[in-house]
Amino acid sequence: MNKEKISSQEIIDLVASKASVSKRAAEEFLKVMIASVEEGLLAGEVVKIKSFGTFKLQWNEPRKSVNVQTGEEILITGYYKVVFIPDSVLKEQVNEPFAHLEPVELDSIPQKKELIDEVDDALDPLRIFTEQATEIKNLLSEIQAISAKPISITPESQQPADTRQEVESIQEVQPAETKKEVESIQEVQAAETKEEEDKIIQDVQPFDTKLEDETIQEVQPAVTKPEDEITTKVQPSETTKPEVQPAEIKPETEIIHEIQPPVTETIPDVVENVQTPDEKLHYENLLNSIDKKPKEPVILQEPLENNIEKEVEIKPIPSDKNESQLISDLPVTPYLENVNRTKRSKAWIWIVVVLLLVSGLGAGIYFYFNPTSELNIFTENISITETFKTVSGWFTSKPKPKPTQVAAKVVIPKDKNEYDSIPQHQPVDSTQLLFDNPRVFNDFIASERMKAGTRLTIISKRYYGSKDFWVYIYEANKERISNPDHIPIGTLIRIPKLNPRLIDLSNPRCVEKAKQLHDIYVK
Amino acid sequence: MNNKELIASMANKMKAPKAVVAVLLETIVSTCTELLVEDKTIGFQSFGTFEVRKKEERLSVHPSTQIRTLIPPKLVVNFKQSNILKDKLKDMPHHE
Repeated sequence: MNKEKISSQEIIDLVASKASVSKRAAEEFLKVMIASVEEGLLAGEVVKIKSFGTFKLQWNEPRKSVNVQTGEEILITGYYKVVFIPDSVLKEQVNEPFAHLEPVELDSIPQKKELIDEVDDALDPLRIFTEQATEIKNLLSEIQAISAKPISITPESQQPADTRQEVESIQEVQPAETKKEVESIQEVQAAETKEEEDKIIQDVQPFDTKLEDETIQEVQPAVTKPEDEITTKVQPSETTKPEVQPAEIKPETEIIHEIQPPVTETIPDVVENVQTPDEKLHYENLLNSIDKKPKEPVILQEPLENNIEKEVEIKPIPSDKNESQLISDLPVTPYLENVNRTKRSKAWIWIVVVLLLVSGLGAGIYFYFNPTSELNIFTENISITETFKTVSGWFTSKPKPKPTQVAAKVVIPKDKNEYDSIPQHQPVDSTQLLFDNPRVFNDFIASERMKAGTRLTIISKRYYGSKDFWVYIYEANKERISNPDHIPIGTLIRIPKLNPRLIDLSNPRCVEKAKQLHDIYVK
Repeated sequence: MNNKELIASMANKMKAPKAVVAVLLETIVSTCTELLVEDKTIGFQSFGTFEVRKKEERLSVHPSTQIRTLIPPKLVVNFKQSNILKDKLKDMPHHE
């Protein structure tokens, strides 16, 4: 032990000089003091000296022991022992070099909790994805159940069957990953329906942001694709001659898209306009076919038409003025039966209804996306869902009220989306800004030279009231300190003047921020 | 016997005013504290020695929660009674 031992004589000298009394007086005082303490102790009392500590007696029980040399058992008699319990003042002063150390819980539970929370947050979007995917799945199965009825009856049933296949393909991709689905749809769209969609989208696009654009592109294919099929698939059943098809399809779609924006009012006109050339062509073809093969095609058509009639009858078609008007306005043809015409007009009503739905959906999406410039991935999902709802409605043939319904329906998820998908931003208040802004240290209130045992935490405690804020001292002296744990003795540390709100001990966020910084700097 | 009583008894013995005794006592205490902070051992003859000891860091396990805690090292003041005082105490009967 290289500890320097101070005898009572030295203490007497020191006290004498300090209290400016004679050494003799100091010596006598010390003797009296010790005598008094002893006296108190011997009287069985606890002797307390202010800001120094307490002396008290402790009884040590008699115990057995062995003489180390002889191996003899000896009994150590019980005795009193003076114990000294240092006062907190003395304790703290003595322990100052280690004052900054705190007990550390090694298996701390709060840290783990934080980790789990973080993981939960990260998984959250994924969970929402899967939830929505299952939702879409359910909808699709509903669609399938509905569309299963017409399939069995007519050649036209190919159309629902095909759409179903598509729907299935989408469904297959969905559970795995919604992003993939979006991509696949986009690809299909690019391949199949680019021209038409462009036209449709053109109406909406200029107002939209990029994200909206995406959404619409995703929504469009879902709707326009089946529509396309209808046009292509309905045609063959009507015209019976493959050569005419390509010529027919093109003008039709164009006409349809030209008319689209003012859908509601022009429906009868559209149908009529479209029908006349088509019918002509059709009739010509039919005439030709009759010329070549007098009976066959007509006969072939008959059951088909009947079937369609049945199908249409099964489905409750709301009594539509336009429809009835159309049927009545139809030119009377001597070559074909009435059924044929009604069938064709029905097919055209189908197309018009689908277009109505598409435009209604487009309008709904437009109104939905317009007010909110902020968008996110999840809206896409919902939009697709809505689209399929429309498709299902289209199979059950509820033509008119659907568009408004869609518009209303699209608005509902908007709130929900905003609610669960927009990342939670911490309220940006002035304190947060204070934390985020880079700290510039211009004013210094003091400077300290590092001594043995001096720590940044101790300095921080002295100047800022808490050792947590040592990080700011470190930040201000970064160029001098390479390692905050080992600062060379003699280093001049400047104590920066800090914004009092940054080191507000009553604000837990200040402490939290300092601890975060601590974790960053101490690695 | 608390601080006041101690001062009173000392003043009585020294035949000096309590205020003077209090000041002197404070001086002694502050002197001792300073010396101890400087990591010095103080020996009062016929009474005992005051010494600063370092308690090493240790791992403590909470018996019921099993939480292991690392207790940091610390410096404590230790008093060891002198043999003279011990002999004086030997004569004391054990009351319990």
